[in-house]
Amino acid sequence: MIPEIGYFALVLAMALSLLLCIFPLWGAYSGNLRLMRAAPSLALGQCLFVIFSFCILIYITLTDDFTVSYVAQNSSSTLPWYYKVTSTWGGHEGAILLWLVMQSTWTALVAMMSKSLPWVLRARVLGVLGFLGVGFMLYTLWMSSPFERLLPYYPVEGRDLNPLLQDPGMIIHPPLLYMGYVGLSVSFAFAIAALMTGKLDNTWAKWSRPWTMAAWAFLSLGITIGSWWAYSELGWGGWWFWDPVENASLMPWLVATALLHSLSVTEKRGVFKSWTVLLAITAFSLCLLGTFIVRSGIIVSVHAFATDPDRGLYILAFLALVVGGSLTLYALRVSEVKSEGRYQFASREVSLWLNNIFLVVAMLIVLLGTLLPMIHKELGLGAISIGVPFFNKMFSILIVPFALLLGIGPMLRWKQNKLNTLFPKWTINVVLAIIITAAWLFGGYDHVAPLTFMGTALAVWIFLATATDLLQKVASQATIPEGIKRLGLSYWAMVLGHIGLGFVIAGVTLTSAYSVERSVSMKPGEIATLNEYEYRFEGVNVISGPNYSGHAGEVTVLKEGKKVVLLHAEKRRYNVGMQFMTEAAIDDGFFRDLYLALGEELNNGAWALRIYHKPYVRWMWLGGLLISFAGFIVLADKRYRRSSRTRSSEAVA
Amino acid sequence: MNKKVLGLVPLAIFILLSVFLYQGLFGNPREIQTGRLGHNMPAFSLPDLMDEKKTWTDKELQGEVYLLNVWGTWCPTCLAELGYLTELKEKGVKIVGLYYDQAYDPDFGDKFDVVALREEVNNMLSRAGNPYAFNILDLNRSLALDLGVSGAPETFLVNKEGKILVHHTGDMNTRVWRAKFAPAIQELTP
Repeated sequence: MIPEIGYFALVLAMALSLLLCIFPLWGAYSGNLRLMRAAPSLALGQCLFVIFSFCILIYITLTDDFTVSYVAQNSSSTLPWYYKVTSTWGGHEGAILLWLVMQSTWTALVAMMSKSLPWVLRARVLGVLGFLGVGFMLYTLWMSSPFERLLPYYPVEGRDLNPLLQDPGMIIHPPLLYMGYVGLSVSFAFAIAALMTGKLDNTWAKWSRPWTMAAWAFLSLGITIGSWWAYSELGWGGWWFWDPVENASLMPWLVATALLHSLSVTEKRGVFKSWTVLLAITAFSLCLLGTFIVRSGIIVSVHAFATDPDRGLYILAFLALVVGGSLTLYALRVSEVKSEGRYQFASREVSLWLNNIFLVVAMLIVLLGTLLPMIHKELGLGAISIGVPFFNKMFSILIVPFALLLGIGPMLRWKQNKLNTLFPKWTINVVLAIIITAAWLFGGYDHVAPLTFMGTALAVWIFLATATDLLQKVASQATIPEGIKRLGLSYWAMVLGHIGLGFVIAGVTLTSAYSVERSVSMKPGEIATLNEYEYRFEGVNVISGPNYSGHAGEVTVLKEGKKVVLLHAEKRRYNVGMQFMTEAAIDDGFFRDLYLALGEELNNGAWALRIYHKPYVRWMWLGGLLISFAGFIVLADKRYRRSSRTRSSEAVA
Repeated sequence: MNKKVLGLVPLAIFILLSVFLYQGLFGNPREIQTGRLGHNMPAFSLPDLMDEKKTWTDKELQGEVYLLNVWGTWCPTCLAELGYLTELKEKGVKIVGLYYDQAYDPDFGDKFDVVALREEVNNMLSRAGNPYAFNILDLNRSLALDLGVSGAPETFLVNKEGKILVHHTGDMNTRVWRAKFAPAIQELTP
C-alpha cells in the first residue's frame, strides 16, 4: 500500500505541475492577474508532494520492501542504513525521482523569492518551470517509476547497491551535481520568460544572475567531488576519463561559466543581450542532452546505466520540444534586440567576450568528441573512437590563451583603456612567472617537458596577475583596511575563483607530468622503492564488513628510514553480488599523494600491489573547491542579491 | 549577415543534431560494423592459454555451435559477466575464451610472463566462475584483429560450419542473451 501512496503523490504533483504550466502562462498572455497569482502556491504544492513521494521511497528502502522492483534491484537488507538512503538515487528510477525533488525545490524557491518581480515575468518563469516539471514527471510516472511492484513473485533479498556506489563521495556527488544541473533550468526559465515578454533588458540579467550563480556553484562542487570520488574509489589513480557521462556534466558547466560572465556584462553594460539569452538556453539544453546521452545508451560509456531506447526516445522528444521550441522563440525575437553600450577593443567587454568564445569552443570540443563517433558511424564512415589524447591536446591548446586572458581581463575597465599603464605590469608578471616556474620545476625535477613548463607558468601567471590586481585595488584607497573593506564579496569571489582555476591548472599539469606508478609482487617483509619512499609490505589481514569480506594489505611507508604512514589497502568481495572492489589506501598531502591498491594473491604467498606517487594531485580538487566556494560567496553578497530586489513594481500587462 | 538569419543558426544546428541523435537511438552503437558477420571464422593456429604445447586451429572448432568470448583479467566488465556466462555454460552452452592481453605490447619490447598470467586467470576464474571450455591465447592479437575486435568483452556466436552469426560488443547479460543470441540459436535448432 505504501509504495502506491508514493506513486499517487507523484500523480498529484504532476497534476499540480500541469496547472502550474497552464494557469500562469495563460494568465500572463491574457492579462489575468488571478491566474498568475495561483503560480506560487501551485509551485509549493507540487514541491511538497514530490518530497513526500521521495520520503516514501526512502522509507520503503529502509524497511527492505523487496516487493518493490527498484528496492530489490538497488538495496539489500545487509546494506548499512546510510547506503540504503544512498541507494534511493543509486539506480535510474530513483535518480530521476531525485531530479524531480531538485526541480520542484528550485521551482518552489523561485516562487518564494521572486516577490519583487513584475507578475507577468514571475508568472512566465514559473510557468516554464511548471512545463519542465510536467515533462519529467510524466517520464517518471510513465516509464521510470521507482514504485513498481514485483508481485506476486518477489525476492526475499535485494541485489544490493552497486559496491562502486558504496562510498561517502557517492552520497553527496549526485545530489550536488543534480542541484547544479537542474538549477540551470531556472536560468533557462528566466531566459524564456524574457523572450516571451520581449523585454531583454538588463533587469532580466539582474534577476537571473543569483540563480545561475547558485546552480553553477553546485555544479562545480558536484564535478569536483565526482572527480575525487573516481580517484579514491576506482583504484586506478585517475581523476578524469573524458567518458561521455563525465562530459555530460562538463559541457553545461563550461557554458554556465560563460553565462555567468556574460550575464555580468549584460547587467552592467547592456550589451551581449541576445548572446546571453542563447547561452542560458544552451546551458540547460546541454543538461537535457547529457541526460539523453546517459540514459539512452546511444553512446557506449564505462558507466553502466540502465539504458532503454524507449526512454531515450521520450527524452529525445522532450529535448526536441524544449530546445527546438526555445530556439524557435529565440529566432523570432532576437532581431528585435538592440545593444545599448559602446566599447572599444581594449575593454573589459571585449576580454569577457573572448572569455565566452574560449569557453564555448571548449564546450564544442567536448561535444564534438562525445558525439563524433556516433555521427561518423551514422554517416556510414565506419567506427572511430575519439579518446583521451584528443581532449587533452585540444584543452592544452585552448587553455593557453584562456589563462593569459584571465590574468589580463580583471585589470581592464569597462568601455576603454589606455593600455600603456598596464603593459609594464603584465610584462613584469610574465617575467616573474617564468622565473618562479623555472626555480620551482628545475629545482625539483630532473626532467621538465615544455608543456609542463608552460602549464605551470600559466598557473603562476594567474596567481601573480590576481595578486597584482588585488594589491592595486587595495592600495588605491587611503588605508589598507579601508581598501579591503571597499572590495565587495563579489570581488573576493572572483579572486578566489581565478586562483582556484590556477590551482586546477597547476594540479593537472604537475600530476600528469610527474605521477609515477609501479606494479610489484611482494612477500611480507619485502620492500619496494618508488621515488624517495620505501614501501614495506607487512602482510595481509582478513577483513569482514557488514555486507562484504576480503583482505587488507598493510604497507608501511618509510622515508629516509623513518616511518611516514601505515597504508591499509582493501580488496573487498561484496556478498550479494559477488563483486570485487578495490579500496585504495591513500596518504594525502598538499604536495603529494601516496596511493596504494591491493591486487590479487599470487601462489607463492606474494601479493600483487600497485603503488602510485602522485604529486600535487590534491591541487585540482582544492582548485575545484575554491571555484565552487567563490560561487557560494557571491550568493552571500547582499549587494548582489539586493540588485535583484530593487525593482519591486507590481506592473501588470 | 542579417540578424534574422543569424538568429536561425542555433535552431538549424540543433535540428541537424537531433536527426543524428534520432538515428543513433535506433542504430545500435554497440553493433560495430564487422566485416566478419555472416562470414567464416578466420583461419588461425594459436596456443592454449594454460598449456602452450596444445595448439588450437579453426578447423578443430568446427562441428559444434559455440560462443567465442573475448576477455582479459584487466577488464572489469569481463569480470562482471563471468557469472552470467557460467550460468550459460551450466545450461549447456559451449563457451571458448579468447584471451586478449591488453598490457602486453611486443612493439615496445614488453616482457610477457605466462606463468603469472595463468595464476591471475586461475584466481579470477576460481572466484568468479569459470565458463570456459578452454582459452585461446591470442598474444599478438592476430585473431582478434581479423575478427574486428575493438576491446573486451566481445562475444561471437559461431555455428557448426564455423560461420559467425552474432557479434556483440559489451557485457553479456540476460537481456542481451534473449535479444540477440537466443533467437539466432533457435534458428539453428529446427
